Amino acid sequence: MNGKINLDLKSLIFIFGRNKPYILPIVVILTCIILFFQFTIPQFKTFLRVREEAKDAEIKLELLKENLKVLVDTNEGSLDSQLSTLNLALPLSKDFSGILNAIYYASQKTGVNLGTFSFQIGDLSKSEKDDKFLTIDVSMPLNANVFAVNSFVRTISNTIPLSEVSLMKMGEKTATVNLSFYYKPLGPIDSKEDSRIYPPTQKGLLLINKLVSFENISSPILPQLISSPSGEKSNPF
Amino acid sequence: MSTDINLLLRKDEESLRRQKRLKIFNFIAVFFLIELGVISLILFLLIQVNSFSSTKEKDDLLRRMSQLQEKRVKLFVLGNRIDGIQEILDKRKDLSKITSTILAKTPAKLSIEEFEIDNKIIVITANSSSLFPIGELINSLSDMAHKKEIISSLTLNSLVFDEIKNSYQVSVKSNL
Repeated sequence: MNGKINLDLKSLIFIFGRNKPYILPIVVILTCIILFFQFTIPQFKTFLRVREEAKDAEIKLELLKENLKVLVDTNEGSLDSQLSTLNLALPLSKDFSGILNAIYYASQKTGVNLGTFSFQIGDLSKSEKDDKFLTIDVSMPLNANVFAVNSFVRTISNTIPLSEVSLMKMGEKTATVNLSFYYKPLGPIDSKEDSRIYPPTQKGLLLINKLVSFENISSPILPQLISSPSGEKSNPF
Repeated sequence: MSTDINLLLRKDEESLRRQKRLKIFNFIAVFFLIELGVISLILFLLIQVNSFSSTKEKDDLLRRMSQLQEKRVKLFVLGNRIDGIQEILDKRKDLSKITSTILAKTPAKLSIEEFEIDNKIIVITANSSSLFPIGELINSLSDMAHKKEIISSLTLNSLVFDEIKNSYQVSVKSNL
């Protein structure tokens, strides 16, 4: 037989006529294959993505439920009281009345005579960077011996606002004590809905109890005589 | 000449084969169509179910939490203060405790003229009519330095005799 294929129009029409029934199924099959790659596979990828998102949403939902439970279970009265104690111990801003209260309380309790002292305040109008410990430094002359001054320092270490003694220079009858009173402005508040809310830990509650036992927390010396420049202690609420 | 040649039979065989082939093609086409439709429908429904499920509950929780926003802020401040205060209490040095320990080791017959302490050093100047209490003080402080108890070193700055006061004066320095 001759291997040549005759491709004239008649032959093509003949071949077409013979194979016409196959055209529809072949077109359908090809279309299905194309649709499968163009549509079904992307749809499957979308399904996988949505399923992952649903899993994440489930986790976030659980977190929201736990956060809500913490908020509902927290007693607001206790919270306010604890916050008040903590803000006295570590004020949000410069607490001059608190500092003077602590100094005069310690001097009265230990019988130490105070000389003239001054604060190093800094620029009151400048807003301070958050997230840092800031201090108000005080250099205090005292008219007392070593033992009395040491007693004064020990007492003031257990008063609020929290302070740290950086130098004690004591003679037979006079002394100089350098004190730094801490304060710390509040940093940015984390208000993201998916961040965890923590109730106070046992360690935190013990710390609050310790602060409550500090000597001058319930016996202010000078609340009527001296008030802070704003008239009230700072309170963000 | 044979009369048994049946050309029509061959034609029927081929026709049957063609019909069978066509059936197979039709079957495959229908199968593909149905499969594609079913898979697409299932995926569509799964996507809809996963998108919808938790939105309502989340919105409800967020609404309830927004009513407790003030409490949330207070808890944040509470945690912030606790962390800050704990850090201060952990890192601050208790100079009065160190001073008390040193003073406790000071003999009664020794008079402290000057006592200076900061975060790094202690300088003590004391006087006595006798060398014995001075020796006691130096021994006590050396012992503490050897044991690395509060102080890590001891330096004798000076030891002089004041003829006018008729007393010995000693000055020592220690590193914390």
